[in-house]
Amino acid sequence: MSKYYLAWAKDEEIRKKGANGGFVTATLVSALENNFIDAALVVAKKSVYEGIPVLTSDPEVVKECAGSLHGAPINLTKYVVDYAAKKRIGLPTKPCDARGIIEQAKRRQVNLDNIFMIGLNCGGTLHPLRMREMAADFYELDPDSVVKEEIKEGKIFLVSEEEGGEEKEKWIKIDELEQKGYGRRDACKSCVTKIPTSADLACGNWGVPQGEKKTFVEVLTEKGEAILKNAIDSGYVDIEEAPGKGIEMRKKIEAGMQKLATSWKERMDEVSTLSRSGRFEFYVDALKNCIHCGACKEVCPVCACEADSKCLDMNDERDSYAISMYNMLRIFHLMDSCIHCGQCEDVCPVDIPLTLIQRRFSERMQRHLGYIPGMDVKEKPPLYETELRWSAEAE
Amino acid sequence: MVEMKIKSSICPGCSVGCGLYLLESEEGEEREIKILHRKNSAVNEGKLCKFGTDLHTYYEREVLNNSVEGEEVKQEEAIREAKERLGSIKPDELAFIALPSTITNEEILSFVSLASEFGCENVSFGFERFFREIPEEASYIIEKGLSFSEVEKATKIILFFLDPFVHYPLLARRILKAKKNGARVIEVSFAKNERGIADETVLVEPKGIERIKEKKELFEDSLIIGELTPYMNSQFLELMLWINASTTSRLFLLKPFLNSTGAFLLGGNRNGKEARKRKDLFEILGGIEGGEIKALYLLETDLAGAMHGSEELFETISKLDLLIEQNAFRTPLSDVANITICSEPFFMKKGTLVNIEGRVIENGGESENNVQIMESMGKGRSYEEVHEEVKRRLGLAEISEFEIAVKREEKSFEMAEPKIEIEERKEEEGKEEYFLWYKTNPFFWNGIRAKNFVEISPAAMRKLGLFRGDEVEIVQGERKERMGFKISELPDYLILSEAKMSIKPLQGSLTRVEIRRAGE
Repeated sequence: MSKYYLAWAKDEEIRKKGANGGFVTATLVSALENNFIDAALVVAKKSVYEGIPVLTSDPEVVKECAGSLHGAPINLTKYVVDYAAKKRIGLPTKPCDARGIIEQAKRRQVNLDNIFMIGLNCGGTLHPLRMREMAADFYELDPDSVVKEEIKEGKIFLVSEEEGGEEKEKWIKIDELEQKGYGRRDACKSCVTKIPTSADLACGNWGVPQGEKKTFVEVLTEKGEAILKNAIDSGYVDIEEAPGKGIEMRKKIEAGMQKLATSWKERMDEVSTLSRSGRFEFYVDALKNCIHCGACKEVCPVCACEADSKCLDMNDERDSYAISMYNMLRIFHLMDSCIHCGQCEDVCPVDIPLTLIQRRFSERMQRHLGYIPGMDVKEKPPLYETELRWSAEAE
Repeated sequence: MVEMKIKSSICPGCSVGCGLYLLESEEGEEREIKILHRKNSAVNEGKLCKFGTDLHTYYEREVLNNSVEGEEVKQEEAIREAKERLGSIKPDELAFIALPSTITNEEILSFVSLASEFGCENVSFGFERFFREIPEEASYIIEKGLSFSEVEKATKIILFFLDPFVHYPLLARRILKAKKNGARVIEVSFAKNERGIADETVLVEPKGIERIKEKKELFEDSLIIGELTPYMNSQFLELMLWINASTTSRLFLLKPFLNSTGAFLLGGNRNGKEARKRKDLFEILGGIEGGEIKALYLLETDLAGAMHGSEELFETISKLDLLIEQNAFRTPLSDVANITICSEPFFMKKGTLVNIEGRVIENGGESENNVQIMESMGKGRSYEEVHEEVKRRLGLAEISEFEIAVKREEKSFEMAEPKIEIEERKEEEGKEEYFLWYKTNPFFWNGIRAKNFVEISPAAMRKLGLFRGDEVEIVQGERKERMGFKISELPDYLILSEAKMSIKPLQGSLTRVEIRRAGE
């Protein structure tokens, strides 16, 4: 199915405000204006450190949300499930958004026919507060003066607004920041899904000739082709064939980033070097701190259980186990489906390294089952309890 | 189409003041509230405890209406009636109570000025008696907390009868970070923390609290973290202050109410001077019981929810000539209130708060209604005027959650050695003696999410002949409570509770009780 283009918004304002020529914004705006979709789910920028999901049918709101926002590590899956499951919507999706939505579709929480995923290639997101600290400590900027950020060519660029309105750009290599414990979130550093191939389109700047403000677009599905055609036909977007060199370059960048992610994964796995008793101690030490707030389950993009879940039902606070049934069941429950997005760890009030723990169990299981969650909607989640849900619903 | 509205707000569960988003969605008639994690919040980085994660249930309670003597009326009429009736009562027979969980700084100023419009000096934010019982120079410890970065930087932390996983879970991660940074954590407690956060536990027997005084050297160069609640035994506070005064330690007291610091600083309590003159929550209730106080104005305060044993409270309240309740949600006392005034829920309010660290944080709402209600009975100022006054009083030019605007300066003070008295009781032959320790208090988390079991020792389980699934009956005189139980590593005589029960904590959070297998 894959077709490759370079694309850009024809509207000058969108092109200027949006990242890489404003293709994503222009595509969503045209889809809304032609009733191709009922609503767009976008992230409104409050500052470079803060974004809020907005479900809107107003093209002007979509235009306002144009541009990259790496400091707002939100996963949009649950918003789609909760607020847009029955609508035709379009949304920009990082690979982890797309994978979450695909897993929810398998669990019949959303109908993929109604969802247009404009995938965004993703090198990773940053925790907003770490980004503030980074701005102050490494870029020597007043964090509140930072008005723009961009990640490109292995560097994080911050643009600050100086007195008198003048803009000043500073950059530092990501690797340099990450060696010092800053930069991207741990989950992002170790994520190998850099191009959202389970979305309808995959967009980004990898493969775009240097100096050009265009988006490299891979068309992955018929829906992707349709939404692109709508944007072109309505005069919002221009395209040209992607040059072979660009396609190769994009592949190379992806492979390089995957290699780096794999090395991070190994470096961050502090458990692998421990003895058997050391590993046991690590799990007990980390998980005994759980206060059973339920936030990890609440934000998990692949969990579809809501309140009627085994991890909640079978957990009794009167039990005195160091690792509760809640945690045991969640680890088991997610072994086939965890996409390692790190949302659980982001919200854990006692900082349990949930991404690492979950990954240690689920990656091996997923390898064993030959199953990569969130990549293909036709592939059923292999574990038994989901089978039960499937068969119950099929009846 | 579903309409999604997202507001930034603050969790009203305790004085930590966690930032969050509140998502309101509407589809036709259906309205839903969902809590989202605000990762850019300087206080909590998007992390929330159980109360915060489930905060939508707090906002889904039954809404209060505007009423006069049970008849639904327009808000203006309820306000007019309230003003008229308050004016007809002698100033010293009036009392105003606001436990500052959901009350902004602006509301605190309006509330105090409303009370003064009627000449009333009985204004309580819950803690007044403590100011009276300690040296004036030590008031700053009650008034102001410390930033969590100070906790992370501490080299020695003493948890003084405080389990951070239970009381203030967002503090726990700061203590864990301090440990990672090399801090030594010591807990002084009646029972060992089951998660083993401490490197060392100094177990104290209820009858031997006095002996803590002999271990003064333990506290040298430490950051002592404790809790102050309206239920606290004053001697306990004096003990903490005495340790602090006589060692090189710092004392950090957390409180169950979100805006305690704002209430202390703006409620006229600076250096405790005003507070010393005022009656506190329990003294006002005593005044109502004794017939000296005849009218009570409750601002967003669920007194029944905050009390162990609400039957007595109803008896006390029935002695009032006038009860006015201003609240967003119904409380058990709404049914007996003469006038109810419906205000906006906290997340809808415009206004600022001061968290325990001293950050002045803006709540993300837009409603000025609550301030306007009080100002329309009082000075008649606009919201902006009150807000400017807040800024002036707190010495703020700009408001930023990323700054610690209310800083505290450590001061030295003299403190007499306190004597700790434990409730005396004649021991009855053959009867086992148990102490019930309320590990948390009903003010915390606004009394929501209390557990339905108590913790007992394995020895107590054996002595009582209990099996899994049984229940215990805890008895204090005429008061009885039936509860589930959990086995924990506790001293034999200790019963630990995170439940809200009718049994009164006569000695701060500690009281003697009997316990037996339920149904015997």
